[in-house]
Amino acid sequence: MKVALLSESPADETALRVLVGAVLKATPRFVAPGFRARGWPNVAQVMPAVLRHLHFNTDTDALVVVVDADDSVVHVAAHDRPGYYHPHCRMCQLRALHRQTTKKLPMAHGRSRVMRVVGVAVPAIEAWYLCGRDASVSEEVWVTDRENGRTPYTRAELKFRVYGTDRPSLPYEIECALREVERHRHDTRRLEHDFPGFAALAVDLRAPRKAAPSPGRTS
Amino acid sequence: MIASIAFRRFKALRQTRVELSPFNLVIGPNGSGKTSLIEAVLRLRTLSALPPSERPFAQRHEGPEIEFTFAPPWADLTAKLGCESDLICDTLRREPPAAAGWPALCRELTTIRGYALDHAAMAQASRQGEGRHLAADGSNLAAVLAQLQARVPAAFAELTAEITRLMPEFQALEIKAWPDERVEFGLHLAEAGVVPAAELSQGTLALVAVLALAFDPEPPRILCIEEVDRGIHPRMLREIRDTLYRLSHPRVPGPRARTVQIITTTHSPYFIDLFRDHPEEVIVSQKHGRAAKFERLIDRPDLPELLREGSLGDMWFSGILGGIPEEP
Repeated sequence: MKVALLSESPADETALRVLVGAVLKATPRFVAPGFRARGWPNVAQVMPAVLRHLHFNTDTDALVVVVDADDSVVHVAAHDRPGYYHPHCRMCQLRALHRQTTKKLPMAHGRSRVMRVVGVAVPAIEAWYLCGRDASVSEEVWVTDRENGRTPYTRAELKFRVYGTDRPSLPYEIECALREVERHRHDTRRLEHDFPGFAALAVDLRAPRKAAPSPGRTS
Repeated sequence: MIASIAFRRFKALRQTRVELSPFNLVIGPNGSGKTSLIEAVLRLRTLSALPPSERPFAQRHEGPEIEFTFAPPWADLTAKLGCESDLICDTLRREPPAAAGWPALCRELTTIRGYALDHAAMAQASRQGEGRHLAADGSNLAAVLAQLQARVPAAFAELTAEITRLMPEFQALEIKAWPDERVEFGLHLAEAGVVPAAELSQGTLALVAVLALAFDPEPPRILCIEEVDRGIHPRMLREIRDTLYRLSHPRVPGPRARTVQIITTTHSPYFIDLFRDHPEEVIVSQKHGRAAKFERLIDRPDLPELLREGSLGDMWFSGILGGIPEEP
């Protein structure tokens, strides 16, 4: 399987490589260098062009896109019902972008489209890094507390918990990210359980191994 | 180190005050006072090195005036530069004049350094004995690297490791000394051969210079760098920011860690993007006609909402944050 990554930093990309391999239980081939976006909404701006490039110019099977949720609406099961789309949910937005971009593309390199693999880290990827070592951090905690008018932790606090500083150097950020995702290298069930935004990525990633969906399929 | 600077009638800075953090990124249109801010800091350095003037401080009511306050342990001291004109600022008034902290503060202020790196100057050979501190345009970069290698080989090794990490096409930093005391440097390609400084790209030279500042065994207390992103690929800007953070926010803080206050400028939206999590470090220079004012980005009450809508760099370019050129 050949996989391309669209992420916000080299540290995110390094961690995602491990997590993608962990979900697939195999090491895929990665398109190098990885594609980069400058945070939201830039990722949504560049994603259609990245998809078209991958479709026509490469034999990539899947594009993995991971964004931070920040303060946006968190994706919930209700958003998955047919025809539904929440305009402020980044998962819904990225899935819709993929759908719109790929639905009219002709066949290329023997496949109808580059598969969609979308994950949303709530509220930031550092929350995923803390999974399994800090029980106070999970998507449910975030959603429940926010519903009750509280913010359980900020992005800066999550950075402090992972890096011990909110100004980590890039090599140190990569070192910490790799150390943290190592817990999930052989089993991602805990991460999928605590972070449905990661579980969605895992479901997408496993899908093409079963059967390639038709171009007209909706999310 | 410097807590705030108040300007009156100094070039475009007619009446404005700016509070400074350990790290300060100044953005704004051309001619909006970014360089004047750095110039004021460098004048403070120059006058701090001189003995207190015996001439009474007679403020010219129409002349420029620049007032500095300082962070602890010098929070009770104020330095005021008196100027005859924008070009002649030759009087430093110390308040209170007899305070015990002045000698120590002045020693620190004399270490201030300012840079407008020039790639052509950085590429040239320099004299071996002139490498204690990097010159303002980087023209003695080769001598600085040579001295670092000779005097602090461990730091030189770290610097080389950083260069090869950031630019993996190179495997070593080579210094070449000539019998006539000239010294040159080059980067050894991982494959084979040395690329002399004269043939290195502008961005590569800038990166080496910034790293030389980061590994300086005698760092200044305040470091000013004009357009630190110049010539650097956008994907490498994070490394530039991190290198400067290493100085302004040492990894192991404490009384023995020497913190360097950074004042730098940029016109790159990509560099500005990197301060999304620290908008308190961004100063926007707003130009209205010929006058300019400084505003801290963090003081904008709608900043959290704006950051939900897009990247900081895009917001700046759009004009929402101000700090853009006036259009005809």
